[in-house]
Amino acid sequence: MTSSVMERQAKVAGKTLNLSDIQGNVVRAYGHIGYFHARYLFFRINDPGNARAFLTRVAERVTNSAYADSKRNTRQTTSKASTNVAFTFAGLQAIELPAGSLMGFPQEFAAGMKKRMSILGDEGSSAPEHWDNIWQKEVHLWVSINGLSNADVEERYQWILRQNKDSGDGVELLSGHRGAAGEEDLMFQTGAILRDENGNPSGKEHFGYRDGISDPVFEGQPNAPDTVLGRGKLLAGDKWAPLAPGEFLLGHLDEAQEYPKAPMPRSLAQNGTFMVYRKLHQNVATFRRYLDDSAAQFEGSKEMLAAKFCGRWRDNGAPIVDAPDDAGKKCWDARFEAADAAEKRRMLTDFHYNDDIDGARCPMSGHLRRMNPRGSLEFGQKGAFNTPSALADRRRILRRGLPYGQSGPDTNDADDHGIIFMALNASIERQFEFVQQQWVNYGNDFKEGNDKEILLGNHTGEGKAVLQVEPGSGKPPHFLTKLPRFVECRGGDYFFVPGITALKMIAAGIVDPT
Amino acid sequence: MSNIAGKAYAMNVITPIRSRYSFINRWLFGKATKTPAALLGLVTLSLIHYARWVIIPRNSFPHLDASQPKEELNYDYMIFQSNFNGSWAQYVDSFTFAIPAGLDLFWKWNVRYPKSVPLTPFHDYIRHNQIDTCHYYSAYPMAASNDVKSAKVLKQALCDFDKASAGKPADEFLTDYHALLNAMQLHLGEMRPTPVVSMAAQAVKDRHSGTPEKVQGFKGANDSAEPVENSASSRTPPAAPLSSTDAPEYS
Amino acid sequence: MANTGGGAQALTILSPIKNGYLGETTFADETFKRCMNIRIHEESPLAKIPDTYLARLYVLNDVLYESKPANDTILNLNDLFSLFKGKYRLRGLPKTDKLKSRYLVFSSNFHGESDEDLDRYLKNLYLHWDYTDYYGKRHDIHHIWRHCVAYDKVKSADDFVSYMRKCALDTSLFFNGSNGDSLKEQLKALYLKQELSRFAINHQGKSAGEIQTAWHAFIDRVRPTDLEAPSWKPGQSTVRTS
Repeated sequence: MTSSVMERQAKVAGKTLNLSDIQGNVVRAYGHIGYFHARYLFFRINDPGNARAFLTRVAERVTNSAYADSKRNTRQTTSKASTNVAFTFAGLQAIELPAGSLMGFPQEFAAGMKKRMSILGDEGSSAPEHWDNIWQKEVHLWVSINGLSNADVEERYQWILRQNKDSGDGVELLSGHRGAAGEEDLMFQTGAILRDENGNPSGKEHFGYRDGISDPVFEGQPNAPDTVLGRGKLLAGDKWAPLAPGEFLLGHLDEAQEYPKAPMPRSLAQNGTFMVYRKLHQNVATFRRYLDDSAAQFEGSKEMLAAKFCGRWRDNGAPIVDAPDDAGKKCWDARFEAADAAEKRRMLTDFHYNDDIDGARCPMSGHLRRMNPRGSLEFGQKGAFNTPSALADRRRILRRGLPYGQSGPDTNDADDHGIIFMALNASIERQFEFVQQQWVNYGNDFKEGNDKEILLGNHTGEGKAVLQVEPGSGKPPHFLTKLPRFVECRGGDYFFVPGITALKMIAAGIVDPT
Repeated sequence: MSNIAGKAYAMNVITPIRSRYSFINRWLFGKATKTPAALLGLVTLSLIHYARWVIIPRNSFPHLDASQPKEELNYDYMIFQSNFNGSWAQYVDSFTFAIPAGLDLFWKWNVRYPKSVPLTPFHDYIRHNQIDTCHYYSAYPMAASNDVKSAKVLKQALCDFDKASAGKPADEFLTDYHALLNAMQLHLGEMRPTPVVSMAAQAVKDRHSGTPEKVQGFKGANDSAEPVENSASSRTPPAAPLSSTDAPEYS
Repeated sequence: MANTGGGAQALTILSPIKNGYLGETTFADETFKRCMNIRIHEESPLAKIPDTYLARLYVLNDVLYESKPANDTILNLNDLFSLFKGKYRLRGLPKTDKLKSRYLVFSSNFHGESDEDLDRYLKNLYLHWDYTDYYGKRHDIHHIWRHCVAYDKVKSADDFVSYMRKCALDTSLFFNGSNGDSLKEQLKALYLKQELSRFAINHQGKSAGEIQTAWHAFIDRVRPTDLEAPSWKPGQSTVRTS
């Protein structure tokens, strides 16, 4: 496909995406408009009638995706804080969605995250009995507030509580979040972007990596043509194209040229998506210690080893396939320094593994390769598949989370810090669960047997990873041994994020599956 | 049901095919057997231990005795049987994502085959025409097809190295040893019991690992224990193994 | 015929099950139940049959189909003719098939390409098939095949071989996505793969002398050319702690 055809397609799709009917944070992450602070609230529906009245009020201020339209001056068209709403399956039952509609939801969503624990590998310290108190309760409704400042978030929070009170307390705000000072029963989960020593947003997470660099790009995103390199799907001839919108939005064609499985009526599903909410605790002290210990035996710097874990260097996110070692990193940095903004963006995302089939640069168990193998599952057999990235295109997820907690130099594992991981996809089973199950906690697709992804794998202290080296160099690969669990799940669930119209229909109680 | 044996899944799909077209399928299969490029996608997917397509002409179902009624069928039937790694959805999906054209080629002549893209009709087609396996056995439940293949490569390399390095001084030995690991760096994945890839896999695992008191046999419609045979006369068990050389022992 | 490929062979057996009852259960349902009650992995009778890679048992109850088969996928003249006369539409309607027998299907992938290999394999099935089911009862192979048509004539291993050959179907396309080495060879290779990985991990960064000494001990222990032992057992489902 030529780039002009791609651009034309993107333009057409852009026109057909009704941004004002899609909830905010879906088409474009809130981080882009300076919403660096967040609160996540979870409610139980006690009185469906009053709950619908509450939702009707809230729906008036639910933030949509219009700010993602690049033609508009975004900051002026959005308020200082956002509000978004999503339901668990139990929540949809509690709000009395008709059975005909309920039955159309996918089975994994209906089961909820806890019942999928064996598929997700949520065992040991990630098992549901260790989750925050709130996940020991039945959660129905998720309401998120993102804002420019904590004060903005607080103001919106009070507004939401008022709406509930004024509509007869149909819903109950559930407590049970763990907090930084050892609290067990906080009323909400906070999240906030981490800042560097100068107080500027760093875009990093607690292990020190820059996060959220190559989120998928799909048709209809206003900026798709500019950002597609390395973030869309890989076609023959190393060309990139945006993914089909139906991979992330219900009611739109997906990569299999069909509409994703969704409930009836169509208007209930239209412009909705499914969200995976997971509180991922990071064992920061364990991570730092393990990195130090392993670096002592590693041929290369500690930062290079950290880059091997992830596939990106920690300081500026340089992809390790283009900056494969300490010397290569210096060259890359020099080019990066000299580049303009567009070129910088390209350098961070525009790569693949065609020249790294053996994993000598980005290891087979490295985070980036496992999360999005791009064209590498063809293992160099060009033309074997329909397109080079055929096995990856339907496994992509949009990541919309934020870090929570702090991790100073003296932090320990017990501190409450990590990432509020929020993934959006059209099929939780085919996309998020598959990646978690096959690529994070297992390695067969990468010909690595049961070896898990290094950073997120549900390690037990026995597992290993192979850091491959240049084939034919005569050097042995480096083995990471006795991998501890760096990241633990502390709770979460699966949510349906309806489009704005659908939300209003649910709130009005007029969903008609006929 | 027991479609799962460790890392392997047993799929059986039986679909009708018009007798007058089944020769096309046979011809295609013959071609595919002789043309390795035709199967490149399948080989690269590397999810399959062994798979087969069996076409039964409508008058060729096994008939063993005059007491057995002869089948009278309108269509030929194609049985597809596969031993693959991963979950059902992963396998079916990978086929349609990666090698849709190949799939269509093999199934095209089957009655009401929906084509491999879009996915849902193809899912339904396979799911509706799939027959569950009662008992499934894999000689290596902890190994995927990838592991079996890479183990062969590794065993050869290990033996070659051991022979070549014999009697060498330690530093030369080390150079060779590092070269061995370098050459084998993509063959060193750990093999462990399969992770749970589906709720069905969880069920199979639970049944197999349950305590004897808890694990129940599969009960028939009307019995709580094995019924007494009342038809065939009881028979003698097979004779003892021919000889010790014919009866290999595994240690 | 394409039953073989790369050292492996595909065996597809369809044994018709007698129409009739054992007590109040049809022979086919009884056969189904017996197959369901075979324990898996190491405890499967197939673990005792030499050179069985992967094998399965199921009961084909009918040539079920998701709906009535529809018309031809390419041109169907009946559809065109029905413009003129209704009877052509009727003629073009799909037909429904029903099997008159239910079939026990045994499908195996095993090592060996020749006809003699097949005979030997079938003979081993007869001789070595021995297992204890989920009820704790021990059975031979007759327990599974007993209710098949004409199986009562099977009195010896040779009878069994010729019986099975009568039930065997030709494969139209056999895809060998693995390799066709003997099972003992495959299992030994898997064992060595696991052991070499562990050796490499345990000796990372050690001195040349240490590694060389350890290597000799390693070879003495794993005996790479000895296919009998140490090795993985057929059907082994857990990692043994050594």
